[in-house]
Amino acid sequence: MEGSPPIEIDDLTAGYGSNIVLEDVSLRLEDRDFLAVIGPNGGGKTTLLRAILGIISPFKGDVRIFGEPVSEGLRRIGYVPQRGNFDSSFPITVYDVVLMGTRVMKGYRPRYSADSHERAAEALEIVGIEDLAQCSLSELSGGQMQRALLARAMAGRPDILLLDEPTASLDPHIKECIYDSLRRINEDLAIMIVTHDIGVVSTHVKRVACLNKNIIVHDEPLITPDMLEMGYHCPVELLAHGVPHRTYGEHDHD
Amino acid sequence: MTDWGMVLSIGLIQNMFVATIMASVVCGVIGTYVVVKRIVFVSGGIAHTTFGGVGFAYYLQSVFLVSWFTPMLGAILFAVGAALIIGSPRISRIVREDSTIGVLWVVGMALGVLFISLTDHNVVVVRSYESILFGNVLLVSSQNLQIMAVMGVVILSLVAYLYRDLQILTFDETQARISGINVTLMNMLLYVLVALTCVFVMNIVGIVLVIALLTLPAAIASMFSNDLKGIMVLATACALVLSLLGLVLSIEFSIPPGASIVLTLAAFFMLSLGIRSYYDRGAVVSKVEGE
Repeated sequence: MEGSPPIEIDDLTAGYGSNIVLEDVSLRLEDRDFLAVIGPNGGGKTTLLRAILGIISPFKGDVRIFGEPVSEGLRRIGYVPQRGNFDSSFPITVYDVVLMGTRVMKGYRPRYSADSHERAAEALEIVGIEDLAQCSLSELSGGQMQRALLARAMAGRPDILLLDEPTASLDPHIKECIYDSLRRINEDLAIMIVTHDIGVVSTHVKRVACLNKNIIVHDEPLITPDMLEMGYHCPVELLAHGVPHRTYGEHDHD
Repeated sequence: MTDWGMVLSIGLIQNMFVATIMASVVCGVIGTYVVVKRIVFVSGGIAHTTFGGVGFAYYLQSVFLVSWFTPMLGAILFAVGAALIIGSPRISRIVREDSTIGVLWVVGMALGVLFISLTDHNVVVVRSYESILFGNVLLVSSQNLQIMAVMGVVILSLVAYLYRDLQILTFDETQARISGINVTLMNMLLYVLVALTCVFVMNIVGIVLVIALLTLPAAIASMFSNDLKGIMVLATACALVLSLLGLVLSIEFSIPPGASIVLTLAAFFMLSLGIRSYYDRGAVVSKVEGE
């Protein structure tokens, strides 16, 4: 169904066993959106990603990708995992990692699309690591590895990009470069990132949502004191990067 | 001095050499997955349950006179069963995987002992524990060799067909899942491939030493290659040269082949470790000096 938003989540309640991690979470990712979901550890960010990726099934509620159920819509998502969620010492070249993003199913036969080499080359170029293609993954720095994973996600020519902590423990300069790439990518597709790195968020994204079991969505890239209080359970003094005198508007509770 | 012309004219010795060559190729390939996916313990568990299957086959042969149900078929049955149990998400939701493996390991061994003690030794000739557990040069019958050849072809063709998917699976399960791979099924398939390989190898080095052929060549290769295919090729070459060398040494000095193959592999493993750590130290020093 065209015209449906890239991701639409309705009253999602999910968790593990009897432990409810997300409660009545509703969220829409719009066309060419750039949404950051922030929140504390244990606030349900990873669970939200898992529900979108169909790794867990929700207790209640619904996730739709372009109006289709997750199992159908998943192929339109490019996913960039957090570094550390896979074996970074695995013996594999960057190029083979990127090629993984081009896998498609034809009947029961796993295939790589005919143009998978073109796609891989194109994806490497988008993130600017063509020269690292034949390097082995374990030799890469943190920032380079993040780019390789971004390239893998882009090689599938997705319509939505999902990123889990894309800039965790990276230098400020490298973070800027990654967000520059993302901004360029964002001209064509919708991006949703999940992070607790609130510093970079407000300067790079279009909208922010704060998740701690429940969700508050803000249609501007603003992080307000009450979002932080909900997220981190204590009043936090806000620092806006480079703009010491900027004041945020009042948060609207509706 | 051993008269090699005479030795090599013996049919069972020839079988052993052919079996060792086939096992080296299969171990080089499947062992690579075992090493990079860190499932050495899974393989150990599966390998030991085969003892139950061997005992079970002897018992059935003696009680029901089903002579076609050979120890090798019993071993395949138990190993594949163990692989499916370890890979089953229903069980891993309740019990940690390594606990399941520990249970299968000991139950397999205990069943083997039980069945062999229940077997009527007047009806069936049961091989010694020693030769089942630690291998014997003269154990590979021509019939077993045929079954092994079929298994080898099945294992290698499945890997060739599913190479890329197995690569994604062993590297990053989440990516595997979102690119449409049935991760549970694929993991089970990998475990079944490991199970068949275990049965393959137990014919040569015995049940207890299966892990050696499965892990040592791939572990050696992984020190020198950074690419899955490269490790497979190198591991196969290592396994071929070193296990044949071990076999020759075992015949020359009349020691059990399992022990000599394992120790030959282990000696080369230590040597590689030494070379690698010397080389790495050199690399660090030259890098520091270069700066």
